[in-house]
Amino acid sequence: MISVYYFGAIALVLIGLYAILVKKNLLKILIGLSIMETGVNLLLISVGYVSGRSAPILSEGIGPSQAVDPIPQALVLTAIVIGVATTAMALSVAILLYEKYGTLNVEEIRRLRG
Amino acid sequence: MNGQYAALLIALPLISAFFVPLLKGAGKNAIRYFLVLVTAVQTGIAAWVFQWVYSTGKPIIVMAGGWKPPIGINLYFGHFASLFVLIVAAISFLMAVFSLRAIKVEPIDKYAMLFLLLMLGATGMIATGDIFNLFVFMEITAISAYALTAYNKTGEAAEASMKYIVLGGIGSSFFLIGIALIYGSLGTLNMAQIAQLAATMDPTVAQVGLALIIFGLAVEAEIFPLNAWAPDAYQAAPHPITAMFSAFVVKAGIYAMARLLYIMQDVGSWSSVLRLLIILATLTVVIAELAALRQRNVKRMVAYSSIAQIGLIALAFALGTQSGVDAGVFHMINHAIVKAMLFIAVGYVAMTLGGADFENFYGLGKRMPITAFAISVGAIATVGIPLFNIFWSKVRIILATLGMGYTWAAVLVLSASVVEAVYYFRLLYAMWFHKGGAKVDENIVISLMVLLLAALVVVIGIYPDYAWSLAQKAGADIFKVADYINNVPLMGVGA
Repeated sequence: MISVYYFGAIALVLIGLYAILVKKNLLKILIGLSIMETGVNLLLISVGYVSGRSAPILSEGIGPSQAVDPIPQALVLTAIVIGVATTAMALSVAILLYEKYGTLNVEEIRRLRG
Repeated sequence: MNGQYAALLIALPLISAFFVPLLKGAGKNAIRYFLVLVTAVQTGIAAWVFQWVYSTGKPIIVMAGGWKPPIGINLYFGHFASLFVLIVAAISFLMAVFSLRAIKVEPIDKYAMLFLLLMLGATGMIATGDIFNLFVFMEITAISAYALTAYNKTGEAAEASMKYIVLGGIGSSFFLIGIALIYGSLGTLNMAQIAQLAATMDPTVAQVGLALIIFGLAVEAEIFPLNAWAPDAYQAAPHPITAMFSAFVVKAGIYAMARLLYIMQDVGSWSSVLRLLIILATLTVVIAELAALRQRNVKRMVAYSSIAQIGLIALAFALGTQSGVDAGVFHMINHAIVKAMLFIAVGYVAMTLGGADFENFYGLGKRMPITAFAISVGAIATVGIPLFNIFWSKVRIILATLGMGYTWAAVLVLSASVVEAVYYFRLLYAMWFHKGGAKVDENIVISLMVLLLAALVVVIGIYPDYAWSLAQKAGADIFKVADYINNVPLMGVGA
């Protein structure tokens, strides 16, 4: 059963990669980047998942043996924060690009070459 | 003094970065001098750590919060890390001084913050002993580097930054998948414990995980095919930042790659990963040198040359032998000095003469003699002429490559060096034998900086023994994984 999670996560990564490589619109590329990050986060979560156990939060009736592996969850929290920072940075650069070039088409944003 | 104070190397830039907005009220110049002060203190601490590690011969293990690894995260200041943290801090100090004059664009407080975070990220990547912590530091480095690339707010800068962000995003996702695979099969994130358990890992999973990690780090380490962002970012970033990229940001990436490669050396499929990296590294050298040949912008040309040298270092690390690693570390030291000097000098010319186009370098020998002298020393050294520092490391890399029987790689790299000689001598000819404009007054501080670095280049070139002994110790730190495991006080599993 667990392989469903792996396939789902890898599928999200591949969808994101496809969007980054094929799409021409900068915003779609950035959306692809976010989808890819989500896929990676889900992969990390499913690595630590133990079938039938609950979230690793200390509460009544849930001891260490009833919870899933907490480390991947901590990692994913960090990775989500990093992903938000990257996306915010990328969007602000996209605004700057639109101001300077008047377009978001990556084929027209080509002043640096050589 | 207690070795745990080495944690200040991480804490100081972080705290200082958050103090910058408070200083904003004290004026623009206060921030610039604050930057110089912080980097000077950082250099002092790094020199102390360096002196400690090299005199006792023992690494400093900093345990965060007193938790023993693998439960807690540890920092590992071994021979390699202490040497390179010193290089990072010293180059940052020079660049902070250079920024006093080179950075005219506002907002300077954001610049100072990002500058400190970039230094922090590179220091952390070199010092950390935990693979996920490495990812966090890599992202700190990368996000501050994205922002600094776009700092000039021109269209070109935004374009370069966007390329860097997209490639960096793909790279960090790959890296994280690699971490997930390693964690999934070994159940640990501590590098020493990964090294200990590596032999038990399934060879296929290890191969895929390691390959994904190498691809992820290849963005920071500028290995072909993920280095397309580098020339653009180098060209568009502010001049001190370009020098920092070339001198240590990329070094941190390539060190992380080498460290992870060698801690996994017990896995069954290790040699196939090495072969992949050798091919990629050789391609990096050849393609970057050929691209450099047709550049009309000198800053971009030096950027391509820097990428080619990084390819050479990656080749040395991919050989999997002690001599290869030593030579690679030696080349990292030399390359940091030479490229810092070249980018300061080229950036200074671009600042004073209004751009780094090739035409601006005509007759530079008469117009700005000291800067032109520094560029000449850097160019001659990079090509690998004897009596300059890069000669020694290049020869050792080639010999190590031949020693492993990769004759084709050595031949390709040597022929790429000929290409390198062509474009650097074209620049030298333009500087010294062309007619140029009127003489320009050179800034005394910047002249002193480039002369100091040029002196280092020549001194290491004539007396390479001391630098070579440092490189050998640092190389052994990467290569001898058994010592690395012994040095980290791992808690027994279940203890």
